[in-house]
Amino acid sequence: MNIIAEPQNEIKKERPKMRYLETDRPATPFAREHIKTVGAITVDSPRITCRNVNVYYGTKQAIDDVSLDIGRNAVIALIGPSGCGKSTFIRCLNRMNDTVIGCRVSGRIGIDEQNIYDPQMDVVLLRAQVGMVFQKPNPFPKSIYDNIAYGPRIHGLAANKLELDEIVETSLRKAGLWDEVKDNLAHPGTGLSGGQQQRLCIARTIAVGPEVILMDEPCSALDPIATARIEQLIDELREQFTIVIVTHSMQQAARVSQRTAYFHLGKLVEVGETAQLFTNPMHQLTEDYITGRFG
Amino acid sequence: MQRTTLLLTLFLMAAAAFYAGSRRSLDIVRGHTRELHSLPSYYGYFTALWCGLPALLIMGLWLAFETSIITHLVIAELPPAMQSLPDERINLIVNDIRNQVGGSAFAGESDPLIQAAAARYQRLKDISAKALTVVVLAVAIAGATFARQRIRKEQRARNMVESATVVFLIVCSTIAIFTTIGIVLSVLFESIQFFERVPVTDFLFGLHWSPQMAIRADQVGSSGAFGAVPLFTGTLLISAIAMLVAVPIGLMAAIYLSEYAAPKFRATAKPALEILAGIPTVVYGFFAALVVAPFIRDLGMQVGLSVSSESALAAGLVMGIMIIPFVSSLSDDVINAVPQALRDGAYALGATQSEAVRHVIIPAALPGIVGAILLAASRAIGETMIVVMAAGLSANLTANPLEAVTTVTVQIVTLLVGDQEFDSPKTLAAFALGLVLFVATLILNVIALYIVRRYREQYE
Amino acid sequence: MNDPPPIGGAPEMSRKSYETVRRGLAKRRAAERRFRCYGLSAILLGLTSLALLFASIVSNGYTAFRQTFVGLDIYFDAELIDPQGNRSPESLATGDYGGLVKRALSKVFPAVSSRSEKRALYSLVSTAAAIELQRRAVREPSLIGKTVKVWLPADDDVDMYVKGHIRRGAGESARRLNDRQLAWIDELIEQGNIEQRFNKTFFTAGDSREPEQAGIWGAAAGSFFTLVVTLALSFPIGIAAAIYLEEFAPKNRWTDLIEVNINNLAAVPSIVFGLLGLAVFINFFDLPRSSPLVGGLVLTFMTLPTIIIAARAAIKSVPPSIREAALGIGASSMQTVFHHVLPLAMPGMLTGAIIGMARALGESAPLLMIGMVAFIVDIPHSVMDPATVLPVQVYLWADSPERGFVERTSAAIIVLLAFLITMNALAVYLRSRFERRW
Repeated sequence: MNIIAEPQNEIKKERPKMRYLETDRPATPFAREHIKTVGAITVDSPRITCRNVNVYYGTKQAIDDVSLDIGRNAVIALIGPSGCGKSTFIRCLNRMNDTVIGCRVSGRIGIDEQNIYDPQMDVVLLRAQVGMVFQKPNPFPKSIYDNIAYGPRIHGLAANKLELDEIVETSLRKAGLWDEVKDNLAHPGTGLSGGQQQRLCIARTIAVGPEVILMDEPCSALDPIATARIEQLIDELREQFTIVIVTHSMQQAARVSQRTAYFHLGKLVEVGETAQLFTNPMHQLTEDYITGRFG
Repeated sequence: MQRTTLLLTLFLMAAAAFYAGSRRSLDIVRGHTRELHSLPSYYGYFTALWCGLPALLIMGLWLAFETSIITHLVIAELPPAMQSLPDERINLIVNDIRNQVGGSAFAGESDPLIQAAAARYQRLKDISAKALTVVVLAVAIAGATFARQRIRKEQRARNMVESATVVFLIVCSTIAIFTTIGIVLSVLFESIQFFERVPVTDFLFGLHWSPQMAIRADQVGSSGAFGAVPLFTGTLLISAIAMLVAVPIGLMAAIYLSEYAAPKFRATAKPALEILAGIPTVVYGFFAALVVAPFIRDLGMQVGLSVSSESALAAGLVMGIMIIPFVSSLSDDVINAVPQALRDGAYALGATQSEAVRHVIIPAALPGIVGAILLAASRAIGETMIVVMAAGLSANLTANPLEAVTTVTVQIVTLLVGDQEFDSPKTLAAFALGLVLFVATLILNVIALYIVRRYREQYE
Repeated sequence: MNDPPPIGGAPEMSRKSYETVRRGLAKRRAAERRFRCYGLSAILLGLTSLALLFASIVSNGYTAFRQTFVGLDIYFDAELIDPQGNRSPESLATGDYGGLVKRALSKVFPAVSSRSEKRALYSLVSTAAAIELQRRAVREPSLIGKTVKVWLPADDDVDMYVKGHIRRGAGESARRLNDRQLAWIDELIEQGNIEQRFNKTFFTAGDSREPEQAGIWGAAAGSFFTLVVTLALSFPIGIAAAIYLEEFAPKNRWTDLIEVNINNLAAVPSIVFGLLGLAVFINFFDLPRSSPLVGGLVLTFMTLPTIIIAARAAIKSVPPSIREAALGIGASSMQTVFHHVLPLAMPGMLTGAIIGMARALGESAPLLMIGMVAFIVDIPHSVMDPATVLPVQVYLWADSPERGFVERTSAAIIVLLAFLITMNALAVYLRSRFERRW
C-alpha cells in the first residue's frame, strides 16, 4: 500500500512493454499505394518460405503481405529506410515477436513444411534451429565460457564436460574469437570490446547448432574495424549456415549478401540477386533509395 | 497569557507588520510601484519576518528550558536534607510537587514542605509566563519597527526574503542529519552509563539474561544478569524464519508478476500484495497471537510435539508474511531493471522462460536482490509489535523454533514500559540493546543501499 | 549466387542437435510449467494470508458493534436516589443507583435469597448501569417515583454468552458464568428482556477495565491529536527539505550526506525513534509523558524521510521546461519554485503525505517507549493531555485476559483498517485524478 514511500523505489521504472524498435513503426500514415513485389521471391532450395505474412502491433500494420523465400547456405540482406519493417520481419522468423505484447502475425512462415506459427510448433525447438544476433551485443553477465556453454547446457547438447569444452572451442573458433580469448575463458563476457562481444554473441548462437542465423543490424553499434571483422565472419559462416541480415548500410548488404530484399513501409518492394539489385533496380522506389534520394 | 494566545497574538502582529511594511514601501514611492526594487508585498514579508522570527526564537528557547530551570530553582530552595537524597528520590519529590501544582494530588495527604514547594513552583511559573509575554511582545514590536524604519525604495527586499527562505529550507533539510545525531547521542549516552556498570564483554557475550533481578539497588545480586546472547539468537531465529517465508514467496511472486503475469493480473495482484505492507504491525501481532500461535500449538499437539504457545515459529511466520510485499516489490524493481536485451539473448538461444529467468535474469539481478533481502532482514530484526505480542519474554538460548524465545526489541519494550527510574541498569540496558539494534540495522541498510545503488548504476 | 549451396539437408551437427533438443523438450516444458506454478502459488499464498488475516479479524470483531442489553423495570425510588429530597442535581449525584438495579433484578427473580447467589445475580448487569440511571434521573427528574422499563448494558460475560462465545457444554468451572446464572439469562431471554443493540459505548467511551464499558473514542482522539502534530510538522519541513535538495542544493559532500541520512532513516527500526523520543523529549526537554505532542514529534521524525522522498519524486517529475519558461521571463528561482514547480508537484506531495500519515497512524512501537501505553480513561482534549492511540489501544486490549476484549480488539482493528483504507484510497484517488504525464 505504501510502497511508493520506500526509498528504493525512488527511481521506479516500468519496463516498457512495447519495447522494440521505434524504427519499425510506419513513420507516416500516408496512403499506401498498392505495391507488388518485383523480382524472384522464390529460390531453388528454400530453407524458410514466407507467404502472405502480415504483422500488426495493436491496430498498426507493420508488415503488409510479404512473401519471400530464404535460400539455403546463403546470405540474404534486408534493406530499407527506417520504419520499413525489416527488423519486424526478421523477428518473425524465430518468433521473437512473441515477447512483444499486442503483436499479431498472420500468413505462413514454413520451415521443413511446418508453419512456425502453428500452435503445435515449439518455440524452443524453433529458436534452437533459428538463432539470432542482435543490434547491440548482449553477452550475459557471466564468463566467456559460460556464455557459449549456456545454449548447449539448456538444450542438453553435451554429454559431459569434455564435449562441452569442445563445443565451446569450436564455436569460438568459428566465430574467430578463439585466439583472442582462449587464455581467459573465465573472464566476464561483458569485459570484452564491442566487436569481440558481438562475435561472442555469434559464437553463442553457433554453439546451439542452428541452421539459420538471423542478424539484426549486427554492426550498427560497432566501429569500422570491428564491422569489417564481422562481415568477414559472415562470409565464412555462409558455408554452414543460412544467414538473414538486416542492415542499414547498402555497402554492407552489397559486400556480404548474395540476395537482397528491399522493404518500404512494411511492404517488400523488390528482391533479387544483390549485384543486380544494386546495379540495375527494377522498381522506382528501390532506385530512389539506393541512389540516396531518401533513406 | 496562555501560550496559544501568545502565539496567536504574535501571528496577528506579524500580519500587521506585513501590512505596515508594504504600506510604508508604497508611501515612500507615493504609489509608483515601479520605482521600488521589489514588489510591495516583499517589503511586507520583510517586516513581518523581523517581527515574528526573533520573537518566535526566543519563545522556543524559553519554553524548552523553562521547566528544567524552574525545577532546579525549586529544588535549590528545598531543605538541605532533601537535596542530599539520591537522584531517584529527588525525582519522586519533584513529581509530587508537580502533581500538587497540577491539582491531581489530594491536598490533605501531602507534606507541608511539598505544598510550600508547590506554591513556589506555581509562583515561578506565573512569573515566567508573564515575563515571557512581555519579552516576546517587546521583541516583536522592536523587530517590526526596526524593519519598517529600514525600508528604502532601492532596498532589495525580495532578495532578503528569499535568502531567509533559503536558510529555512537548509535548516529543514538538515533535520535528517540532526535526527541521526540525536539517535546516536541519546542511545550512546545511556549505553555508556550502562557499560560503566556492566562490562561490554559481559553484555555482548554473556549467556544469561535476567534483568528483573536488579530492581532494587540494595538487593543481593543486584547486578542482575545482562548477557544479551540469548536475545541475539532469539532475534536471529525469528528473523531467519521470517526470511525463510518471505524470500522464496516474495521472490517467486516478483518473478511471476514481472515475467509471466498478464498486465491485467499484474495490475490487480501487485497492489493487493502491497496491502500486506500497509497493515499496521500491531494487527499482525494480534493475528499471530490469536490465530497462528494456537493453530501451530494444536497442530504440534496432534503430531505429538510440544509447541510453546509463544513459539518462535508463529512469530516468524507472521513476520514473514508481513515482509513478503517488501521483498517482492523491491525484487520486482530490480528484475525490471534487467535490460530486455539479456532476455532476448536467452530467448534467441531457445531458452524457455523459466530458464531465462533462472539462468540469466536472476543472476544478473542478484546484487539488487541481495540488497533487497538485506533491507528486508533489517526490517525483520527491528520489527517490534509482532514479537512483543506473539513471542515470549523468557530468554532461552535455543535454536528450536517450537520453543519460546525473546528478542532484542521485546526486551527494549519490556524494560522501558512502565515506571522506572531513569538510571537503573535495567532502563539503561534497554538503551544498550537499542544501540546494538541501531548499529546492526544501520550496517545492513548501508550495505544494502550501497549494493542497490551500484546495481542501478550498472544498468543505467 | 555464384557460390551454389550444397543441397541435401542441414549440416550434420545441426541435424544431430535438433534431435537432441527435441528429445529434451518434454522435460523442459514440464520444468517450465512447474516454475510458473511456483510463481502463481507464491502470489496466491500471499493473497490467501491477506484474506485469512482479514477474515479472522472481521469474524472475531463484527459482533462487538452490537452489545447485549438487559431490559429491567426500574422503579426510580426517591428514597434511594435523592437523599436530600430536593431533586437537585447535587442530591441526585449522591444517590444509590446500583440499589435500583439490584431491586429490579430481585423482583424478576424473587426466589434468589442467599448472599452469594444475589451477588451472582447482580453481576449480570454492568456496573455502568448505575451511572446510566443517574444520568437519566438528572436529565429527567420527572421519572422519580415512577417505574420505567430501562435497557441497561449487560455484563461482558452475559454479552459473551448471548453472542455464543461461552458454551454451555463446557464444565461449570471452565466458564465464567455458573449454571444458575445461565438459567437466569435464559429466562430473561425467554421474557424478551435481553436484546442486542448497536454498541454506542464502543464509539463514544474511553478505555475501561470492563469490556462492556470500553470504547475507542479516547484512542481515536489521541490518534487525531498525534497526527495533527505530525502533519503540522512533517509536511512543511518535508516539503522544504525536498525543495532544497531538488532545486537549490549544490552537488557536494554535504548534500550527499543529507541524502544518505534520509535514506537510512527510512530504514531505521521504528522502536529506535521511540528511544530517541524518550531520551530527548521526555528526559531532556521534560515534555509531558504520554502526550500526543511527544508522540507527534517522534512520528514526525519517523515519517519525514517518507515525505521527503515522495516530495522529491513529485518535484523531479515537473519538467525542466516549466522552470526555464519562468526563469526566462525574469522570475527569481525562488519565485519559479513557489509559483510554478510547487503547485504542479503538490498532488504528488499530498499523496506522499497521506501515505506517510497512514503509516504514522498504524505505528505503535515508538509510542510504547514514550508512555502512550498507559491506561487512560479520560478523553484527551489537547496535545498536552495524556493519551493513547488506536494501534496502542489494540495492543492494550489484546493483552487483556477477558474474552470480551478479543472482539473489541478485533473491532478496533476494523476501525483502524477502515481509516487506513480510506487514507490510502484518497491517496490513490489523488494520484489518478491529478497525475500529469508530461
